[in-house]
Amino acid sequence: MGIIELSNINKYYYMGENALHVLKDVSLTVEKGDYLAILGPSGSGKSTLMNIIGCMDVSDGGEYYLDGESVHNAKEEELTRIRNEKIGFIFQKYHLIPTYNVLQNIVMPLLMRGLTLKEAHEHSMEIIHMLGLSDRIEHKPSELSGGQQQRVAIARALVGEPAILLADEPTGALDKNSGIEVLKLFQRLNDMGNTIVMITHDLGVAEHAKRIVKIVDGELTIQEK
Amino acid sequence: MRKRELLRLVWQNITQNKFKTVMTSIGIIVGAATIVMVIAIGKGGQMDVADQFKNLNAGAIDISCEGAGKESSSSGRGGFGGFGGGMPGGGFSDGNSSSENSGSGGRMPNGGEMPEGGKMPDMSQMPEGGEMPDMSQMPEGEEMPDMPQMPEGGEMPDMSQVPENGKNSADGESTEGATGKNDSAREASESRENDNSGNRGDRGNRNGNFAMTESTEQEIITLTDEDLTNILAGDVGASEGTISYSTRSSIEGGELEEATTYTIAGVQSNYAQISNLTMAVGEFLTEEANNNKEKSCVLGANIAAEIFGSAIDAYGSILYIDQRIYVVDGVLESMGSVSSGISPDDAVFIPYQTGIKYLVGENADPTITIIADDVEHLDTVITATTELLAEYYPNTEFTYEDAGSKMEAASASNEILTMLLIAMAVIVFIVGGIGIMNVMFVSVKERTNEIGILKAIGCSQKNILLEFLLEAGAISFIGGVLGMLLSLGITPLVRYFDVRVELSLAAFGAALAFAVCTGVIFGFYPAYRASKLVPVEALSAE
Ligand SMILES: Nc1ncnc2c1ncn2[C@@H]1O[C@H](COP(=O)(O)OP(=O)(O)OP(=O)(O)O)[C@@H](O)[C@H]1O
Ligand SMILES: [Mg+2]
Repeated sequence: MGIIELSNINKYYYMGENALHVLKDVSLTVEKGDYLAILGPSGSGKSTLMNIIGCMDVSDGGEYYLDGESVHNAKEEELTRIRNEKIGFIFQKYHLIPTYNVLQNIVMPLLMRGLTLKEAHEHSMEIIHMLGLSDRIEHKPSELSGGQQQRVAIARALVGEPAILLADEPTGALDKNSGIEVLKLFQRLNDMGNTIVMITHDLGVAEHAKRIVKIVDGELTIQEK
Repeated sequence: MRKRELLRLVWQNITQNKFKTVMTSIGIIVGAATIVMVIAIGKGGQMDVADQFKNLNAGAIDISCEGAGKESSSSGRGGFGGFGGGMPGGGFSDGNSSSENSGSGGRMPNGGEMPEGGKMPDMSQMPEGGEMPDMSQMPEGEEMPDMPQMPEGGEMPDMSQVPENGKNSADGESTEGATGKNDSAREASESRENDNSGNRGDRGNRNGNFAMTESTEQEIITLTDEDLTNILAGDVGASEGTISYSTRSSIEGGELEEATTYTIAGVQSNYAQISNLTMAVGEFLTEEANNNKEKSCVLGANIAAEIFGSAIDAYGSILYIDQRIYVVDGVLESMGSVSSGISPDDAVFIPYQTGIKYLVGENADPTITIIADDVEHLDTVITATTELLAEYYPNTEFTYEDAGSKMEAASASNEILTMLLIAMAVIVFIVGGIGIMNVMFVSVKERTNEIGILKAIGCSQKNILLEFLLEAGAISFIGGVLGMLLSLGITPLVRYFDVRVELSLAAFGAALAFAVCTGVIFGFYPAYRASKLVPVEALSAE
């Protein structure tokens, strides 16, 4: 059994009378230690799928098991715990809390688990160092470049040692060099044993992954590699 | 999440963006301050009204003989002691035609009083206490060309003839009075007093008419303590009473640089008790002092301060009233403004008999104040007293004024004030509440995105709500406290404009509780709504 087991996942958006069928019977299995790229054109439903995988949104039918736990019928409290313990989510728009500094943003998931600020800080030192943010921990997100903000978001996603790392267009808002940096980092994380699912509309980016699936109009099509 | 970490975050959120915190608080500050001020000003108003009547005795009835003491150059109308201390009707005033003085105005020789000044052009210009010598001797039936505008009852000259021809029918009472029979005059007088119209000007006019119509028969007497004894012994329904008069006289001594004229009140020893006066130092004039005609005095609070600097300095000192030496036996507590007339704060009290002997002599115009045993039935007391006095003075007209009706009016207006205050408070609470609500709602709504992030990284709904609850509570509390400080700051300013402000713990408590409750509720609600959303929805909220 894979770490992610999606079967017949559907998602509709209701716009008045019309229902927009965004995900059509999507089934997907991701094994532990996998590095998967979901490739598709804009509007194909990539983000929608990723949000469901990351427990940020709910599906309209279908089954979803994450690391052995059933998500499709989980209660809010369970989802909260799963989000905190199992998932590291990197948003396209970073989504850092603007009033907290880099360190606080990074340690937030640990504080949720009941660690003290001191413990959380010690715990996250290694990741902060690895992402080259050691001399930026007092800065506010607004004082950082896009690439740096993305690294803070990655650090926050990694700090809780999640079962899977989900990244929605991690390079989308970055310049070429920063993008390559992030992809190198992902490669390293995967080499260290992390399971990664990444979304992209760029085949060049997707090719860094071990495996690519294509999504067109809400349907997963070819499984490559 | 640990409480300490949560509190740290809350603290950080509040302190880091000080500008935003202050902006958010301003609505709360203003709301809380307004609530405190409205309650304080309303309470001040209420207490003002209450204070004015605090030394007014509900059962007090003042009896005076209009026109007595007419020769007195200093005391125009010596109806001092009105309402057992309320001193209404210009008791202390110098007999000018202030609109408060019932029936004041130029004095007529036979005790008749002219209607309030102005309506009779040439009379209104009469000097105070001036006499109009020939009124009573006016030839009957002769028109008085200068008084075409005589109010009520029309032609003056005819009035003296009314008893004969009964022509004057413009005013029922007047006609009745004009029959010249004391009985009916008295009835009229009673009905006049009992209807308590409260319209002093009107009363004055009627008094004037009376006096005029009876000018040939009215006998003016000077009330004495013997009359008081007779009334109290006469089973009229009053077992307590006092007699007093007021005059004005020059005083020297203390820190005064030159002789200054003050109001002097000649009173008996029980006056203080009947008028609810309290002593700051020393004691009130004793029975003995009265009997022995001792030259001692008790000073009102303002007078003591003016002449001696303070009550303590005044106590035991001496001063000169009309060039005679008096010892200050005591000083009154400040009584504040009274419902009407002049406050006891501005009077010098001397023993009744002392004043008769040295100051007013035959010209005293005393007022007898009796305290009805049953406050509910002042009218029966007045009727009984009228009958009793008629036995002694069949040809004399007495004026009765009772405090009860005044107090009724006061308590009615007090009720209106209270209602007004409540209405105002409700409005302020609503307006303040809407202000707080808006500010809180917007500032939390703005952070829907942050709530989305917290949810995405696995923050429980409980912790999210707790954080926002604490923040809203803290900001509201800070705002509430700052609002109170603001109201403390405004208070001297408002007082500067002579508005009485009574700050109270209750007002502070109400304002703070309201600010915190409103702030928390309206800070909590949008946070609650956002925390219910799935993370994506919260994150995509603008
Ligand atoms: N909240 C929403 N309400 C209605 N329709 C939505 C909503 N979110 C997405 N959609 C629609 O669902 C479809 C899939 O959107 P999605 O964001 O998953 O696309 P995407 O593949 O991530 O595109 P992109 O590469 O541009 O990010 C789109 O047609 C979009 O218009
Ligand atoms: Mg997308």
